[in-house]
Amino acid sequence: MTDLFLGLTQEIISGIALGSIYALIALGFTMIFKATEVVNFAQGELMMVGAYVNFFFVTTFLSAAGTPTAWTFLVALGGSMIFSVLFGYILDFIINRPLKDEPIFSVIMATLSLAIIIRAVVAIIAGPISLMPFSPFGDSAISFGTIIVSVLDLSIIGSAIGLVIIFYYIFHYTRWGIAMQATSEDPIAAQLMGIPIKRVYALVWIFSAVVATLSGILLAPRIALLDTTMGFLGLKAFPAAVLGGFGSIPGAIVGGVILGVIETVSMGTLSFHFQWIKEINDIIAWIVLIAVLMIKPDGLFGVEKVKKV
Amino acid sequence: MKGRYEDENLYWIPVLIIFVFLLPFILKGLSFSYKYYLFVLNMAGIYIILNVGLDLLSGFTGLLSLGHAAFLAVGAYSSAILVDQFGVPFALSLILSPLVAGLFGFVIGFPALRISGMYLGLTTMGFGFIVKRMIIAFREWTHGSGGLDVSSPVLFGYTIKTDWNNYFLIYTFVVIAVVAGRRIAKSKIGRAFMAIRDSEQAAEAAGINLAKYKMLAFFISGLFAGFAGVLFAHTSSFISTDHFDILLSIYFIIMILVGGVSSIYGAVLGTLFIVLLDNLFVPLLKDQIHFWFNTQAGDIQSLIFGLIMFLFIIFQPMGLYGMWLKMRIYWKLFPFNPRQRFT
Repeated sequence: MTDLFLGLTQEIISGIALGSIYALIALGFTMIFKATEVVNFAQGELMMVGAYVNFFFVTTFLSAAGTPTAWTFLVALGGSMIFSVLFGYILDFIINRPLKDEPIFSVIMATLSLAIIIRAVVAIIAGPISLMPFSPFGDSAISFGTIIVSVLDLSIIGSAIGLVIIFYYIFHYTRWGIAMQATSEDPIAAQLMGIPIKRVYALVWIFSAVVATLSGILLAPRIALLDTTMGFLGLKAFPAAVLGGFGSIPGAIVGGVILGVIETVSMGTLSFHFQWIKEINDIIAWIVLIAVLMIKPDGLFGVEKVKKV
Repeated sequence: MKGRYEDENLYWIPVLIIFVFLLPFILKGLSFSYKYYLFVLNMAGIYIILNVGLDLLSGFTGLLSLGHAAFLAVGAYSSAILVDQFGVPFALSLILSPLVAGLFGFVIGFPALRISGMYLGLTTMGFGFIVKRMIIAFREWTHGSGGLDVSSPVLFGYTIKTDWNNYFLIYTFVVIAVVAGRRIAKSKIGRAFMAIRDSEQAAEAAGINLAKYKMLAFFISGLFAGFAGVLFAHTSSFISTDHFDILLSIYFIIMILVGGVSSIYGAVLGTLFIVLLDNLFVPLLKDQIHFWFNTQAGDIQSLIFGLIMFLFIIFQPMGLYGMWLKMRIYWKLFPFNPRQRFT
């Protein structure tokens, strides 16, 4: 009995770490969806690009400096951040501006095609071999009594919490954040009040690219092998967002964490005790998605919308 | 007959059908490697059948499906199992397996009654993943992820084996599918589909039973895809879950988008365009690119597909068929064409 309890606790902590990544990806595209009504299917690919760029910077600095120090990772992080700001700005130009008021069908297909293009370009540039990303923490672990938690997981959870607090602050207490809120509420009214909504849109895309890059950097050492299939992991953020209520930022975070826990527990303890769970544990996110959409399509935090003719 | 067909010119359709059935002979006369071209055309034919159904669902009814490869998989696997393990004749399986896929359409149609747009895209995508996993789970019949060998189709005592024979089998059904798609699109059902796409509320107010027609759209689409699946399984003689990837579902949507959404001819044009590009143009390009990059053919293929779809959505949302329609109007009005309209 204690063994089961111990295993479960450990799986839940590891699941929260995975869920934090989902939450960050979901946060990225929920921001875009709220502000511009564009559903960005390429969010996972943004994450993958972030991971690759960070890997590139880390290896470059390592070959220049020799032994890895904390500075190597920090400078690489700074480089990736600058890259992601530029990338988000470019995406605003090529995706958001031409597609702002197109029907949802075209928008989905445009972002999906963008995802395909990004994946192909990264695969062509980086070559077909998977990379081994470095972790700044190695594989060290901390033990709380009998529960052993890896430092990497803790750092993921910590960074995610930190990021969410920073974003909460930006959204609620800065001029640009309030301008973003106003724009997502009613773009026309916001424009009439003198808010430069085009710049706000650009800012939203930049934010979302930055979040995606950070989540990519955090996730890369956890999956141990970096290749272009990492982008598919971003798709799982959609069930997370739907679970929390699509278009709600707290919903995205809570949904992401819950989904991460469900996945890890079903992959561990449940698969061990029930044979049939083993068959479904890589599609459990999608089963959750369909169940949520059939039972409560607005999710946990969503607001029901009334549609006019 | 006048009245029903008033809006379109039908004289060229028999000519086209004759051309379709003469094409293998022309290719044989022209080219030494005609067998490869026939193989490519066969694949295009199977995808055309599926895309006609997908267009009825996503183009006409506006219910986005990102998991259509799953219906193809259901059709293919159920036919392979029925024919090879239960001894059902191929001709009967040609009727039964599409029905199975149509039933799956019903199943996925249930959640579709409450949701639309992006949510439906996600649900169908999830459905694609789930079906793929289920096929692996039922490994007594499907041999799991190892794949399944399928017998060649036997029709009226003849075993249809080569690409040459497959061509005639497939394109008979392509012609039937395209005609059936046209007839469905122009009928009461098709008009109800379009009304639902344009506004669900207005359609309901006009007396259209939303639940019935949405389920019908999924059922019909499943039927077409199941049909394509049967032909796919028996003409390619080997199927595995790798054939029915999520990327394939997205490529199907690319095909109907490039051809022009909500027109059956658009679906046909788009499918031919993409499949021919993929199999005839990409291999040529691949050799060129190999000089500069060490990369796999799949990456170049998806890069080109992605770029094509992106450029079409931004610059030519009506697709190839829309371009053709614009060109036709342009030449009809030739000396007096208001230039701004045709940019």
